Amino acid sequence: MKFESTAEQLHSAASLASRFTNKQANLPVLSSILIAAEGGSATLRATNLECGVEVSLSAKVSNQGSVCVPTAPLLGFLSNTHSKNVTLELQGQILKLKTDRATASIKTVPHEDFPTLPKVSAEHSFALKAQDIARGLRSTLHCAATSSVKPELQSVCIFGEAGKLYFAATDSFRLSERCVPLTSKGSIRQILLPARNAAELLRIIEGQSGDLEFYYSDNQLSVHADRVYYTSRLVDGSFPNYRQIIPKEFATEAVVLREDLSQALKSLAVFSDKFLQVSLTVDPKRKIVELSSRNQDVGEEDVTLRAAVSGEESKMNFNSRYLGDGLAPISGESVRLRLNGAGKAMVVKDAADDSFVYLAMPMNR
Amino acid sequence: MTTTRELWENALTDIELSLPKAAFSTWFRDTHIVRVEDGVVYVGVPSQFVRDWFASKYHKLILGSLRQLSEGVRSVEYIISKHPKKNAEEVRAPIAAGELPLETVHVQTNLNPRYLFESFIVGPFNELAHAAAQAVVKKPGIAYNPLFIYGETGLGKTHLIQAIGNHFRAKAPERKVFYTTSEKFYLEYVSAMQGGRIPAFKEKFREYDLLVMDDIQFLSGKSGTQEELFHLFNALFDKNKQLIFSSDQHPNLTQKLMERLKSRFNQGMIVSIMPPDHESRVAIVRSKVSARGVVLADEVLDYIATAVEGNVRELEGAINSLLLSSEMRSESLTLVDAKALLRTAGAPKKAVSVEEVVKLVSDFYGVETHSIYEKTRRKEVVRPRQVIMYVLREDFHISFPTIGEKLGGRDHTTVIHSCDKIKGNMKVDSVLSQELQQIRMMLK
Repeated sequence: MKFESTAEQLHSAASLASRFTNKQANLPVLSSILIAAEGGSATLRATNLECGVEVSLSAKVSNQGSVCVPTAPLLGFLSNTHSKNVTLELQGQILKLKTDRATASIKTVPHEDFPTLPKVSAEHSFALKAQDIARGLRSTLHCAATSSVKPELQSVCIFGEAGKLYFAATDSFRLSERCVPLTSKGSIRQILLPARNAAELLRIIEGQSGDLEFYYSDNQLSVHADRVYYTSRLVDGSFPNYRQIIPKEFATEAVVLREDLSQALKSLAVFSDKFLQVSLTVDPKRKIVELSSRNQDVGEEDVTLRAAVSGEESKMNFNSRYLGDGLAPISGESVRLRLNGAGKAMVVKDAADDSFVYLAMPMNR
Repeated sequence: MTTTRELWENALTDIELSLPKAAFSTWFRDTHIVRVEDGVVYVGVPSQFVRDWFASKYHKLILGSLRQLSEGVRSVEYIISKHPKKNAEEVRAPIAAGELPLETVHVQTNLNPRYLFESFIVGPFNELAHAAAQAVVKKPGIAYNPLFIYGETGLGKTHLIQAIGNHFRAKAPERKVFYTTSEKFYLEYVSAMQGGRIPAFKEKFREYDLLVMDDIQFLSGKSGTQEELFHLFNALFDKNKQLIFSSDQHPNLTQKLMERLKSRFNQGMIVSIMPPDHESRVAIVRSKVSARGVVLADEVLDYIATAVEGNVRELEGAINSLLLSSEMRSESLTLVDAKALLRTAGAPKKAVSVEEVVKLVSDFYGVETHSIYEKTRRKEVVRPRQVIMYVLREDFHISFPTIGEKLGGRDHTTVIHSCDKIKGNMKVDSVLSQELQQIRMMLK
């Protein structure tokens, strides 16, 4: 195998692929990248058996063939070269990398043992704008559970109905749901994409434009995005019927400026205790939302925000980070906080836009 | 189940030898045999990555080692499925304060999807119970409420009542079905009481549309739980929610069970599942054997049905060990083989002395043990004495003269008369036959 390509292209492809390798794998191929050269292009493939990726780039191929290279030395060489072009050539068991200034040799791994990436049949599919799926994942990913006790909560739930694609994730302390328009028709049954794999997908499609078409089966999801083929395992399970727990009626509602609240939370976090607790009071008489935090060792802070308030007075404690996370996906100027009294979840929404809903449970310490 | 697991474990041992350690541990982790059907082994793998890899890379190796272990294997298929052990580990954590109440809407029925009407074998011994179950499925809450099924262990009570639950769930997925055993109910009640969560406990059980409770007999003597069940019963019954119970004995004969619970159970339909007759046993053996993809001669089936004593579960166990040993010898089973194999597999029958029988029966009827041996003809003693004679004759095959001698020097004609009398009465007296059923169970 021998080909030449620009160092920049190869570097970005290798660094993307490296994110899909498993550094702790005891099978050497899983911590390596497969490079295949054929026709006018080279393909880099990597997988950790949870998700996999294939990146292709244009290359001048003199000898076609495949090689499997350990990730670390390959990436180390590519990220530190300033040359424009790089030539890769397989000589026996050794891969030679050549630039105008440097040459390096890397010991390879037998490429016959490199797993194939699952292909998903085109039977079930949906299409939407790349930016929309990025928005959906970005708004919900952070809510997925980190513990592996319940794999269904460790994933983002995706389903489509009435021309919209819904994203939802929860770790049972907070929940977020985002809906985005679909360009394809028909309903899409619930699929559970592991959150860690979803984060890699987000990284790939961020900055892309145009429509993306996703294929899915019972166990696997795949997408071609520009020069990247991405595929991930799906979680076998059912997501809790979360819609039932989003309250429809409220005892208290306050509308505040998003930027004000977000800034206040950041500043209050400095004074909050180790549970990041802030207390939130909605006062309909004075038309304010009061926030305060206290740390015995540091001090305390109170913030008063002007708000449009309806309903009864309400006072609750929240994890300031959870609240801040709920504000991040909102782009409108003001947010709606809806409360239902002690022990009940608070709903956070964009005041002008219904496509995002965030639910946070109060703290009861 | 055991045999497919063993088969896979043996295959893995074999495969491990021919692969590098890293490759083996990466690819074969969390794999298992889902089922074996008509010579096709379905291997469950955790993801499509593994499935594709097995199919393209290891197929020959896997098929080869499975064939070596069992000749009946024709081919291997790979399907993506969760590892059964992993499933069991998903223990539901209790809802901690401050969490979203996801659990309450995440309806769990506790039912085992394996138990279906389709796989339930109906014979004369259980057709009444089956018909009642069908009626309940058609008109839940109206036909027979509650439905109470009793019978000895291993005769398919759990299968039948879970089949009702599964059917109900398939028909109306939005309704809430819950299966529990009385023991779990008891434990949950106790922990709710300790944690001060009684209202939540009550609420949880009161919202089910179909409640299935297995093994009611374990509630015997647990008066607090019985009281709770009584209230729960009334609450659900008033809302026309279907209740299904099972026990190993008739509720009226269950000791230390509150009278009002007994009367509630009697309010609906009480049906029993008797031990299967010979023809049904043959049918059961045949279906179990063919489910394993094996064909056996009729005389062998007949022999298994006759030779294996006890309930369906024991029958299944005997079939499993029989098939496994025949698989290992890799030749088809003849009557002689079956006889030889079952002789070694069968457990010896427990020996019971006459005194023990006398003690047990007299305790059961609440009469003094010595009065059995005396020459009294008081009515309350005569009946137990006759029952003892009948049991000794029918179940232990003791000769009439010996029985007479052991029970206070009676003539053998007296014994013959007693046995005939009980035999005759049993046909017309359902209380007597239930009593005998229970005595026999206690003797086992």
